[in-house]
Amino acid sequence: MSPRSRILALAAATLLLSACGDDQVSVYRIPKEKEPELPAAAADQGGQAAPAEPAPGASMADTAVPTASGDGLSWQAPAGWAQKPAGAMRKASYSVPGSDGDSDLSVTAFPGDVGGELANVNRWRGQIALAPLSAEELDGAVTRVDQGGLKVTLVELSSAGDPKNKAILGAIIPFGGATWFFKLSGPGTSVKAAKPAFLDFLHSVHPQ
Amino acid sequence: MNETLKQAKSILVSLKMTVVLLALSIVLIFWATLDQVNLGVWAVQHKFFHSFIVTARVGTLQVPVFPGGYVIGGLLLANLVAGHLYRFKLGWRKAGIWITHLGLILLLVGELISGLLQKDFQMRIDEGETKNYAESSRQNEFAIINATDPATDEVTAIPESLLSKGTVVQNPSLPFRVVPKAYYPNASIQMRSQVPNAPPSLATSGMGTMLAVTPMEVTYKEDERNVPAAFVELVGPDGSMGTWVVSPLLGNPQTFDFAGKTWKLAMRPKRMYEPYSLKLIKFSHDLYPGTDIPKNFSSRIQINPADGSPSREVLIYMNNPLRYAGLTYYQQSFDNNDHTTILEVVRNPSWLAPYIACGAITLGLVVQFLIHLWGFARRRAA
Repeated sequence: MSPRSRILALAAATLLLSACGDDQVSVYRIPKEKEPELPAAAADQGGQAAPAEPAPGASMADTAVPTASGDGLSWQAPAGWAQKPAGAMRKASYSVPGSDGDSDLSVTAFPGDVGGELANVNRWRGQIALAPLSAEELDGAVTRVDQGGLKVTLVELSSAGDPKNKAILGAIIPFGGATWFFKLSGPGTSVKAAKPAFLDFLHSVHPQ
Repeated sequence: MNETLKQAKSILVSLKMTVVLLALSIVLIFWATLDQVNLGVWAVQHKFFHSFIVTARVGTLQVPVFPGGYVIGGLLLANLVAGHLYRFKLGWRKAGIWITHLGLILLLVGELISGLLQKDFQMRIDEGETKNYAESSRQNEFAIINATDPATDEVTAIPESLLSKGTVVQNPSLPFRVVPKAYYPNASIQMRSQVPNAPPSLATSGMGTMLAVTPMEVTYKEDERNVPAAFVELVGPDGSMGTWVVSPLLGNPQTFDFAGKTWKLAMRPKRMYEPYSLKLIKFSHDLYPGTDIPKNFSSRIQINPADGSPSREVLIYMNNPLRYAGLTYYQQSFDNNDHTTILEVVRNPSWLAPYIACGAITLGLVVQFLIHLWGFARRRAA
């Protein structure tokens, strides 16, 4: 082989090496994995049978995509709340004690606007069997607060007429290209009693 | 040897060539550093260093404007090797220079191998969780999972690159063909009801019929991530089975039954499975007392080896990665109020090359210095 053809062969081999590797379909068998933990959406539906296919709104919030690893929020939880393992989807998880049974507090964050405020409020309404709101009705149903630059949208939902009487106290905070959800859900009376603590907790939320 | 070849040889061997190449590499590095503002570290590495030619957009055309890292590095390597073949003489007086140059050659070759073969992945583990796979932070895959067996899943993973090229995939593991209809490298997904003017959806099955997919501009920012979306049609022996939308934004896989089997579709970060698993026992985030200034991040990890031998514990912290089974696990980040660790997982077969190269260069310089010192001392003594 002449020196020239040797160099050509070497260059061709390098190009080939760089071209392969990333374009292959791979097939493998693995032990069944746990489905990713459903977000609070499905977890607090109590005894109700979960729909065969999750509602699209819920599924979008159910994304496994991590929040942009950029800025986050931090907070101070009241002493009486017990921290629970956060699981795959949640940023944090607390058990909030109450007279009528414990409530669940979840903190989640997902990239983008996750479908917008209306879709998320209606998702929460759906979880406690309330009819969805229209875009016009939304403004009357939420409270907007500016907390040190954070735009907090507060939602208070309760299915008082329902014998199960469930309630949700939620806050939606867009921050750093993501949307953060703070949600307290549980038996109506427990959630109502925990409202001052929840509001204090929200006041402690600030950028990291 | 004919004239042109002779001329090419004398250019390749010349020291002028070395100086020109070093000057070009200084310009390349300077330019790349400035361009990090627009593209971020990862894209800059690909555009300037892991490329043969740097191109720039002029109007609507991409035109080559500067030699890339592979060209400059490759020519430097050729220049150095040619210099040794034609210019340098063997002999113990130049032993130090030979060793130094061998180190340089090893450094250049090692970088080329790294550039071609290195793989970067991420592993997110919650405290108490055990994981046997790492995920790519940039590449995605379209996973078609045969979930019929109660104990195991058969996964057919189609790289995102095939979807983007529109390549039709037919694999023995699948009783249908996968036909990519559309692919967006970055897209947002909303409920159809939220986007009144959305064009009709390409999707005819699964959740896609209720969703509006809007293509977005590709981002290069460090703290942002492109989330792709694709429309794929599955075609069985009796014709089309429907078109689904897939995207990492959808979270849970979409399920359907076909040919007596249960199938799941999901687009997700590309996974790299390992035969062993890692469990996060504890993540620690230490602060300097009385301040919020981080002192140390560390992950206590339990390794469960593939061969069933007893597990062992290791501590991964800054500058103390775990090297295991050809992979290196670095402490990269954390999440979830200090309950989740994020490890960077790197496969780099030539990771030792820079260490050996720097050792050889140091040794060569010391040897050359001693040779000179020895000669000088002898002359003075005489």
